[in-house]
Amino acid sequence: MPPSRSSTLAIAALVISVATSGRTSLAAAQDLARGAAEYQLCAACHGDRGAGDESHGAPAIAGLPAWYLTAQLQKFRAGQRGYARGDDTGLQMRPMATSLHTDADVADVAAYVATLPPATPAATLPGDAVHGQALFAPCSACHGPDGGGNEALKAPRLAGQADWYLLAQLAKFRSGARGAHKDDVTGAQMRAMASTLVDEQAMRDVVAYVRTLAPTGGTK
Amino acid sequence: MLEWLIPAASTSADEIDWLFAVIFYTVGVWFVVAQGIFFGLIFKFRRRPGVRSLYVAGETKDEKRWISWPHYAVIACDVVLIAGAIAVWRDVKQVIPPPDETIRVIAQQWAWTFVHPGPDRQLDTPDDVVTVNELHVRNGTTYEFELTSQDVVHSFSIPVFRLKQDAVPGRMIKGWFRPTKTGTFDIACAEMCGLGHALMPAALHIESAEEHAAWLGEHTAVAAAAAGSRS
Repeated sequence: MPPSRSSTLAIAALVISVATSGRTSLAAAQDLARGAAEYQLCAACHGDRGAGDESHGAPAIAGLPAWYLTAQLQKFRAGQRGYARGDDTGLQMRPMATSLHTDADVADVAAYVATLPPATPAATLPGDAVHGQALFAPCSACHGPDGGGNEALKAPRLAGQADWYLLAQLAKFRSGARGAHKDDVTGAQMRAMASTLVDEQAMRDVVAYVRTLAPTGGTK
Repeated sequence: MLEWLIPAASTSADEIDWLFAVIFYTVGVWFVVAQGIFFGLIFKFRRRPGVRSLYVAGETKDEKRWISWPHYAVIACDVVLIAGAIAVWRDVKQVIPPPDETIRVIAQQWAWTFVHPGPDRQLDTPDDVVTVNELHVRNGTTYEFELTSQDVVHSFSIPVFRLKQDAVPGRMIKGWFRPTKTGTFDIACAEMCGLGHALMPAALHIESAEEHAAWLGEHTAVAAAAAGSRS
């Protein structure tokens, strides 16, 4: 019996969908492989597993969500981060980001870094985590009570980030070395929030509290 | 002649290009003459049937002339070229003419910071304009620069000025230039300074007096406001 018209169409649709999904996963695998290759440059400072290295001023980036990594790389490329005199690590990172020539390069390396298991950097700074918990309340509105981040609000995961890096970034937001570029909308939001931490001790305390939060991976 | 390849945009560039041309044409003329004689002799004394080869020891006076006269010519040319080179070196590197303005250039991994004097033409005053990877200068103005590095050895290279000066940590090195052409040109690091060495380009903007005043006015207001908000 010859196949009916509808069953022929159904088979054709199935074949197309299988072929397409195969191509998609293959393309994704190729993108990750490209991202891994691009990452070799990053590894010089961030480490081969993205665990970060304080001696280079390089934060832990492993397992951060791809949307956040992409956003920050694009900010570096556009000069919205790493623009300020005195922001030595930002000025180092900016040319590295510009070595990613296309948006696809950025997406690939971000996708690869997001697949790396989050690191647990060691504590390097003293701070009063109890006091810091109280100070963290406004932060939690965007970054979440567990510091896990919130893509809808463009707030990255903080849990699992090195304390020295968080402190340095808070200081940069306060001084305008980060977040003061006219096109950096989320940076401007964060600048305002960072200014609520009145002094260095307050920043250290809130960082000490964030250190107690467990990283939850790059899903948010 | 070099300007066929890359514009010359300072008084020093013109001098260096002149010296380059003198060397090129002097050496070029002698190269062509020497090769012409060389191949001419090869052709003239080529192998011929029935003619025995001759061993020339170069001992007679008219044979020695082929060596001694070119030597005298080389020495004469060297004197001209070395005198020219010393004169250009003195003008470009050794004697800084009285500057109209001084700028500060700070190299670091991997960026250039430039401190421009504001409208008062004095550094270390509130109207100074600090930029990263962007140098703005006024055409026809003599600038002295104070070059430092805050980490490793870099080299401040502006090809259109034919300028290249190492920046050495712990030292402040002075130099000068006087732009002669408006436009936007490249600044590069010419000393391997780490992973991002190739990725630290900056832009040189040579502006007319009016354009430069407008740029300064725009940025001095920002600098003054920032200084005010910090204090």
